[in-house]
Amino acid sequence: MMKADRVMRAYRGGALYCCFLALSLLLSSCTGGSGNRERGSAAKDTTLVIAMLGDADFLNPVIGASVTSSNISGLIYPSLLQSEFDTTTGLLNFLALEKQLRPSIGGKKPEAALAKTWKMSADHKSITYILRADAFWDDGKPIVSGDFSFTYRLYGNPLIASPRQQYLAELIGADKGSVDFDRAIETPDDTTLIFRFFKPVPEHLALFHTSLTPIPAHLWKGIKPEDLRSSPLNQKPVGAGPYRLQSWGKQQELVLASNRRSNLPKPGNIALINWRIVPDYTVRLAQLQTNAVDIVENIKPEDFPSLVKANPEIEIKSVGLRVYDYVGWSNIDQAVYHKTGKTVPHPLFGSPEVRRALTMAVDREAIIDGYLKEYGTLCNTDISPSLKWAYNRSITPHSYDPAAAVSLLGKQGWKPGPDGILQKNGRKFSFVLYTNSGNARRNYASVIIQQNLKAIGIDCRLDVQESNVFFENLQNRKLDAWMAGWSIGLEIDPLDVWGSDLKKSTFNFVGYRNPRIDEICELAKGKMVQTDARPYWLEYQDIIHRDQPVTFLYWIRETQGFSKRIGGEQLNISGTFYNIDDWTLTPSATHAP
Amino acid sequence: MLTYILKRLLLSVPLIFGVLTLTFFIIRLAPGDPAAFFIQPGVSPNVTEQIRAQYGLNDPLPVQYVKWLGNVLQGDFGRSFSRAQQPVFEVIAEALPITVTIAALTLVANFTFGIIIGIISAVRQNSFLDRFLTVTALFFYSMPEFWFALMMIILFALKLQWFPASGLNEIGAESFGPFGFFLDRIWHLVLPVTVLSINGSAGIARYVRGSMLEVIRQDYIRTARAKGLPEKVVIFHHALRNALLPVITLIGSSLPFIFSGALFIEVIFAFPGMGRVTVEAIFARDYPLIIANTFISGTLIVLGNLLADVLYAVADPRIRL
Repeated sequence: MMKADRVMRAYRGGALYCCFLALSLLLSSCTGGSGNRERGSAAKDTTLVIAMLGDADFLNPVIGASVTSSNISGLIYPSLLQSEFDTTTGLLNFLALEKQLRPSIGGKKPEAALAKTWKMSADHKSITYILRADAFWDDGKPIVSGDFSFTYRLYGNPLIASPRQQYLAELIGADKGSVDFDRAIETPDDTTLIFRFFKPVPEHLALFHTSLTPIPAHLWKGIKPEDLRSSPLNQKPVGAGPYRLQSWGKQQELVLASNRRSNLPKPGNIALINWRIVPDYTVRLAQLQTNAVDIVENIKPEDFPSLVKANPEIEIKSVGLRVYDYVGWSNIDQAVYHKTGKTVPHPLFGSPEVRRALTMAVDREAIIDGYLKEYGTLCNTDISPSLKWAYNRSITPHSYDPAAAVSLLGKQGWKPGPDGILQKNGRKFSFVLYTNSGNARRNYASVIIQQNLKAIGIDCRLDVQESNVFFENLQNRKLDAWMAGWSIGLEIDPLDVWGSDLKKSTFNFVGYRNPRIDEICELAKGKMVQTDARPYWLEYQDIIHRDQPVTFLYWIRETQGFSKRIGGEQLNISGTFYNIDDWTLTPSATHAP
Repeated sequence: MLTYILKRLLLSVPLIFGVLTLTFFIIRLAPGDPAAFFIQPGVSPNVTEQIRAQYGLNDPLPVQYVKWLGNVLQGDFGRSFSRAQQPVFEVIAEALPITVTIAALTLVANFTFGIIIGIISAVRQNSFLDRFLTVTALFFYSMPEFWFALMMIILFALKLQWFPASGLNEIGAESFGPFGFFLDRIWHLVLPVTVLSINGSAGIARYVRGSMLEVIRQDYIRTARAKGLPEKVVIFHHALRNALLPVITLIGSSLPFIFSGALFIEVIFAFPGMGRVTVEAIFARDYPLIIANTFISGTLIVLGNLLADVLYAVADPRIRL
């Protein structure tokens, strides 16, 4: 009897579960499907929902490294200056309350800036900021110059390993290995902040490098540098910006609530910003389509038509051009370099003529037409067309011309062998083109490149590697040919990527060496007025275009899906959430499908 | 039996330790660098070195191992590299409740539906119902989970809009009150649990059907029927208990699943569970988190096997431990 009872109990359990599922089904179709959504929409009217691929790491500008962290920290913490990217010139502008580097394009008062004004010394070796006295941290304590000098010491502390320590490269002592903070940063009183450099620094660079975000010294003072990363304050930040952290369910959602007390600046009409972590791309799209979220970043061009057709309340916005893809050809023989440290030309890709021929053999327009469409632009060098002040318009792109490529290769001694594959001194033109996994755009491009090269007698095999492995191989110079991409900074500084000193220029994966490029970069950096460097950058582009250290493929406009209920957004190359405090939300009810 | 359990538990200590040691060396030998994220233009090359020093990765491997061993013996598995230096067990403690909820609901559904379908198929062997159930079960069993999940999302979240596409709660669910919040959570769990349990119960149904068919052909079942016992009693009282023996092994081996999570479902439905913790840790080369996860899943596999053996002995008096 006992046993039968047990079986029956199990059955009842099953039946109970069925009822439970049925009940929840019923609930969802009756109340959940409409009721919950209505109740939810009331909250949604004042909540902006952003779907993100990954979570923030540290909500601390000193150590935060992910893009999400920077976006969120930008809303929580105050900033010394407000910056804006001038789309008409491509120059970065800096604004204090009462002073601007250049006339502002928006004409908006830079309320977010903590600095009232600044003064660059005549010798360009120091900059003095006067701070406003009416700015306060969330806990009521005033924001003072001491907060900056304290935070800069953290940025420069090797034990903390801040990813932004490069910003301190011009401060006194940096040339000797470590910044002498006592001399480099001075705070005579609470509203005066002085930075001193070991060499003359152009004003725009001084402003860029001295405007790192501060954290409240009075709260962080007692924390040892080695414990900074594990401090709970990183997860419960005290800031002063227009938003403050309301809740953070790790890997799930992060909610920011508007900080009505803040005057840096006053928050807009969006009461809550909810960053939801949705790792799967298809699901992020589905959420945008069903109005469950308002913004999804990096939507693939192939999904635009169906998305906008399914929900007319969505619009696609694009911003760029900061990101480009390229095919890297090892300029030097990596094996010899590893063995002897000497640089000898790579047997396949060592000559600029061969690399030019390879660029001409690749139908870059076909990749753009087939995948990126109007969101791609042919790329000539790594200076973006968006940086109009420095961009060289006179360069004629290497056009797709397989016949010219074959003849150029022929002049270099590459002749078709019996199997149709080009040969030189008994060596076939055959290699593996590596790329990292999980990038649909690069997969698409690499197949076209393979076909194009095959057509002129080059044997190119494709290999996809796990991203971490791929980047390690790249960094250790183990690959001969690969496809990757760069996202450029808004300040032009290409020595990291093309500098001849391969030990110092760690990102010169191809091993390109041209002394004139080193020289031009130094000369351009030495100009105290940014636009005076233009002639150097024009020459730089001519040389890079001629030498083709890599085959530059295309610039990509980053594409974001936006709900039309968001108003006032101005997407800018400096970021999607550039003016989020000016955005408005129309209640979702009027826009529901 | 108690001595047997104790012996097995004692034996499992060096076993788990061996697994952890192997994992320790394998992940360090694998290509990739936990500090790789910081290798980018605009970031000083010193940062990578400083980060590696912070993580203790600049020491020679044997030194790293001895240090790690010392910490683990004191119960300190370290802090996560990729998740803002949170202690690894804190990361796991955040993910575990979500995974356990989904997995427990799924397991109940799996076994309930699996056993019911299996019994019906076996009792009505070769009937239309049996064939229908068998084909349907095979159909769902062979379907990749991630694809099935996406299809469910397209149908129920995009077209019909009955269920949400992802997440654990609606925006602003806190204002629904405790009961509303609970219902909202259930509403969010319906799709993932359905996907997981349809897939799983189909597999279990196959097991139960096979084992039930074997038992039904036994002499003692014929005897029971010959005695004139009602069919219900024959099936549930005499046949089922023996037929469920292989299913007990399945329950034991499902234990790690409860805690290790279902990766695809967690990624697709955006649940921050154990599956995602593990895989993201692997991709980020987050050594402490990988080891802690291995520790948990290794322990559970050992315990699950032990549990299955013990349950076997409990259910079948012929087995002596």
